Amino acid sequence: MSACRETELDALLADELSPEDTARVRAHAQACPACQHALSWLRAERGWMAQRARRMPARPALDFAALESRLRKPVVPTAPKVSWMHWGKMLTAALASVAFVGITTLQVTRLPSADEPWTRNDALTTATWAVDWCDDPSREAVAALEARVGACLVASPLITLR
Amino acid sequence: MKMVLAGAPPSDTDRERTLLRRARTGDPAAFRWLFERHAAGVWRFLKDLLRDEAAADEATQETFVRAHARLGALRDEDRLGAWLLGIARHVYLESLRHRGTHVDMDDEVHGSQVEAVLPTPTPEDLLLDRELEGLLAGALGTLREDRRAALLLRIDHGLPYEEISAVMGWSLQKVKNEIHRARLQLREHLAAHVGGHS
Repeated sequence: MSACRETELDALLADELSPEDTARVRAHAQACPACQHALSWLRAERGWMAQRARRMPARPALDFAALESRLRKPVVPTAPKVSWMHWGKMLTAALASVAFVGITTLQVTRLPSADEPWTRNDALTTATWAVDWCDDPSREAVAALEARVGACLVASPLITLR
Repeated sequence: MKMVLAGAPPSDTDRERTLLRRARTGDPAAFRWLFERHAAGVWRFLKDLLRDEAAADEATQETFVRAHARLGALRDEDRLGAWLLGIARHVYLESLRHRGTHVDMDDEVHGSQVEAVLPTPTPEDLLLDRELEGLLAGALGTLREDRRAALLLRIDHGLPYEEISAVMGWSLQKVKNEIHRARLQLREHLAAHVGGHS
């Protein structure tokens, strides 16, 4: 030991050193008055603490019966816990994804309302998406259809009637 | 309570490990054994920190209630004692906050010159009489809280420096420095008594 180290002397008394370090520290301490002085104090402290521990008073807190009533819940086994919150979050995320895809799709193919101005694209989209395309929207054909269904059919203003 | 285990007589550590595993599965008798083994040390630690026996009673119970609920969180089965003392210190710090007590972390010891003038304890001094016990308690009370805790974990509860480092959340070097300073401060307070006997 190049210098006196109290932690090593302390570890010596606590039997925490390896056999080699024990021999080295002990050899040094035997020849070193400062270390002998420190060892005396360390031994005294350990002795006082041990005596103090043996004089422990009887305390209500040391009675297990007093504690037992406070141990309401049983110990949870140490198996990895899967929280319901975890599954709840997963389900929420899945629903959110489905909702996002659905809303996006609807927005792409949304039918314009009656109050909104039409565009040619709207008309084409509506026609291809919602109804069969009419190759012959002639006045006669429309009139015949109106007569058949008994209603006035209004054609898109952007599609020129032939 | 008497626990009878099959096979060769196990060491205390082996027995504690076995009973800890049982306690983790909800065995109340095993937890009781652990309580009876460690409660006195936890109470003494808390009493030294709180300096109030009734408060130490309550804090000890609270420590074991928390330990019971969190046994599954103990990673190293061989460090149950240190783990319990760590919980106890948290309970102590919380109780201080409830009381609105300020923990002084700023004082400093006078320096290592103190060591040079200390008398050496004689064999007679090794007996802890009532007077010395009172002086010891008073001297511990003068130590800064965290320094006192670290010193007690070492000299009363026998924790290795590494475990004290974990309990206190300090580096190993800081643990060694603080315990050394605490010892010097303690010895300075006890020197008059110890020296007077020789």
